[in-house]
Amino acid sequence: MTLPILPTTMVGSYSMPGWLERLKTDYFARRISRHDLDEIHDAAVRSAIKDQEMAGLDIVTDGELRRDNMIDYFIERLPGVQIDRSSKKFYYDFYDSEVLGKIPMAALGLAEDFRFLLANTEREAKICITGPHSLCKRVRNKHYPTEEALAMDMARVMNMELKELVKAGAKFIQIDEPYYSGFPEDISWGVGVLNTLVEGVNARIAVHICYGNRYGKPSWEGSYRYLFPRILDAKVHQLSLEFARRGGEDLELFREFKPAFELGVGVIDVKDNAIETPDIVAERIRKTMKVVPAEKLFIMPDCGLFHLARDIAFAKLRAMVEGTKIIRKELGK
Amino acid sequence: MNLHLNHTRKDSAAAGTSEVVATVLALLEEGHLEPAQFARLQIHLDWLQYKQNFREAVMVMRRDREQDGGNSPMEIRVDSRQVAPGALRGLLQTAMSPAGSESEAAGRIYLEDSRSFRTSIAWEFNRLYWQRLRDWERETGKSYEQALPGGKSDGRQLEAISDSVCDFWTLLKDLESQNQLPQEVFVLEIGVGMGARAGLWLDRFCALDQERGTKYYPRVRFLLGDYSLATLEYSRPAVKNHLDICSFIALDALDPIKTLSFLRHKILHVHSTNMYDNLPDEEVVWRDNRIYWIQVRAYLPPADAARISKACEVPVADIPKTINRLLEVGAEALPDRAKGMTFWMEVWHALRTEERLVDSVDMPDASFPAGLSSAHMEDILRNAPGDLRFHLSSGALESFRNTLPLLHPRGYLQVQDIFVTDLNEYCMGFHGPGKLDGSIVNWVNGALLREVAERAGYDLHFAPFHYRQGSKTSVLYTTRRE
Repeated sequence: MTLPILPTTMVGSYSMPGWLERLKTDYFARRISRHDLDEIHDAAVRSAIKDQEMAGLDIVTDGELRRDNMIDYFIERLPGVQIDRSSKKFYYDFYDSEVLGKIPMAALGLAEDFRFLLANTEREAKICITGPHSLCKRVRNKHYPTEEALAMDMARVMNMELKELVKAGAKFIQIDEPYYSGFPEDISWGVGVLNTLVEGVNARIAVHICYGNRYGKPSWEGSYRYLFPRILDAKVHQLSLEFARRGGEDLELFREFKPAFELGVGVIDVKDNAIETPDIVAERIRKTMKVVPAEKLFIMPDCGLFHLARDIAFAKLRAMVEGTKIIRKELGK
Repeated sequence: MNLHLNHTRKDSAAAGTSEVVATVLALLEEGHLEPAQFARLQIHLDWLQYKQNFREAVMVMRRDREQDGGNSPMEIRVDSRQVAPGALRGLLQTAMSPAGSESEAAGRIYLEDSRSFRTSIAWEFNRLYWQRLRDWERETGKSYEQALPGGKSDGRQLEAISDSVCDFWTLLKDLESQNQLPQEVFVLEIGVGMGARAGLWLDRFCALDQERGTKYYPRVRFLLGDYSLATLEYSRPAVKNHLDICSFIALDALDPIKTLSFLRHKILHVHSTNMYDNLPDEEVVWRDNRIYWIQVRAYLPPADAARISKACEVPVADIPKTINRLLEVGAEALPDRAKGMTFWMEVWHALRTEERLVDSVDMPDASFPAGLSSAHMEDILRNAPGDLRFHLSSGALESFRNTLPLLHPRGYLQVQDIFVTDLNEYCMGFHGPGKLDGSIVNWVNGALLREVAERAGYDLHFAPFHYRQGSKTSVLYTTRRE
């Protein structure tokens, strides 16, 4: 399938329905079975895919509705990570977890969820993976001498899983590393870990770096300047950054450093219920195109839509698609 | 009969538990009470800590509709503090008589239909008080702060302010060490009153900044927020030494983000004192695993209406429309302004509310405050006492929810107020509504605030206000939830 110019996509998560939140928590309270929860997840994911298709996205995700949060879905699968399963009060809470020994190589079983996505859409599909830097920030390290060593071993295990995803048909893989922004000093080793993660993975790789979206609010503030120039060494195809909420000031970094990457530009503020108009979206794209050519741009929200109500999330995606169409028309494409 | 003892006072109660039991048993023995009535009688013994309140000494809690063929419980609430010696028998007998509710209602001057307390006319009086505070203060000869239990606001306590400033300075220092100190440091005070706390806080911050040579003070943008422009004007002198860094903003305490949306995620410190306890509120009852809404209907007792009529030369029949006029224009509602003030104060002191329980299934359009769904509420109440009457703190929750988005990722909210931090406390004491001078006071349901905060990404902590002995206030502060 050929993508149009300025392809539209999600960063990952779609609106988490209130009823699904309740059922997830019911599962932790042992009020419903795993089998029931799996069926509920299947139905919710199909619905999220359908919404993205109806909104007109070019590349869809599974909405990440099977995930409790961006950490636990992966931590649970990583062999060697000890989890305190009584540590959650609410499904969205993070598990308390720790690493007591070396993480062994093992499959994580992510491909199954991706196959489900492929089986339920005709559109291009993307899978999003939380990166080792962010994961290691949520696990107590009781074995490795440094965080970098832990993250590097996580990357080795996860690299094998990314290759399994490619075998399952994944052409677009996004690595989520929001914790870079909370720990900018780590970028010196974080890029090395990222390169280990994606080494030999034959897919279009994006790395998404935002300022956090936990509970629908930013976790940090600052400037993307901390990424440069080290991020230029990343062996990825695309940087996905948030600009809608924060404004376009940091776009100047692309003029200054002229990275070879594509830019996944955030044009939808996911921390505000106000729905952008297509004209606002179009203006944000025009502003970006003054720095990065249209051929190197992907259009997306600032981050996942997890915390927005479904009607708002859907309307925002529609506005994003309509705004992109305005620019495509201006470009004669 | 079920007797609910909803307080822990051993003394001061005019009507003790034994007196209530003995009176009811006597009424049963003498045939004034049918055995069937006795079997379904629920008596709640309260002790209303506010001398001025909206309750009669003995009141019947009405039901919106009789369930189970008229066999639903008959609920009577007794204010042990208010019952005059020797009066209990008569009051109980009237309340329990079949025509009790009708005879009780005879002659009452109703001022509204049954409704949620948060939309009751009582809050219109509260608004009038704050809008025309000077009139009230002139009439009583004392300031509103003098009417507070401690005689002055805890918000002015110097040691507390000094600690608050130190905490804030430490945050700025930490941000600076991480190269994350914003160029402009926003601080917001909601409900500034006379501006005394803001002035003292800024004095102390300026001094500390100079002592430590950190040059944070010029970066501070201090926002004084209040819904009353008049109040904001009064607060200016208190911050006269800091006017270059102060802004005075008229805002709705229920919805600060509406006015300050341009500061979303930018404010490092938000503070308020004794503001949540004066925001519109309502109560619900959790009973038999069901939620019941409490509706109120404001009225004036007949004797009070007659007295006010005579004193203010307003015919009894004209009292409701004169009250409406009062709420629009203040004391000028009457040709004689002095009589207008008397009318205001007398009506306010006499104002009472009837109550009735409405099953939530009969109110499909009733909704919990934003951040609380009925499912969420049932989760919260799963481990609560089986018969629980509590505040929803609708206004406080609304204000809280609409303030959090203003906070910088490292920012925090501090609220000094009167909080119920555990739902069990509702079974052990009265927490409002009461009347404090011309305003309403309600304890704030901190337990619900905590639940809402957790879903919004914050942990809530309540620290007793230890700077003044005997203070009932606590300081709520937020920390970011990971």
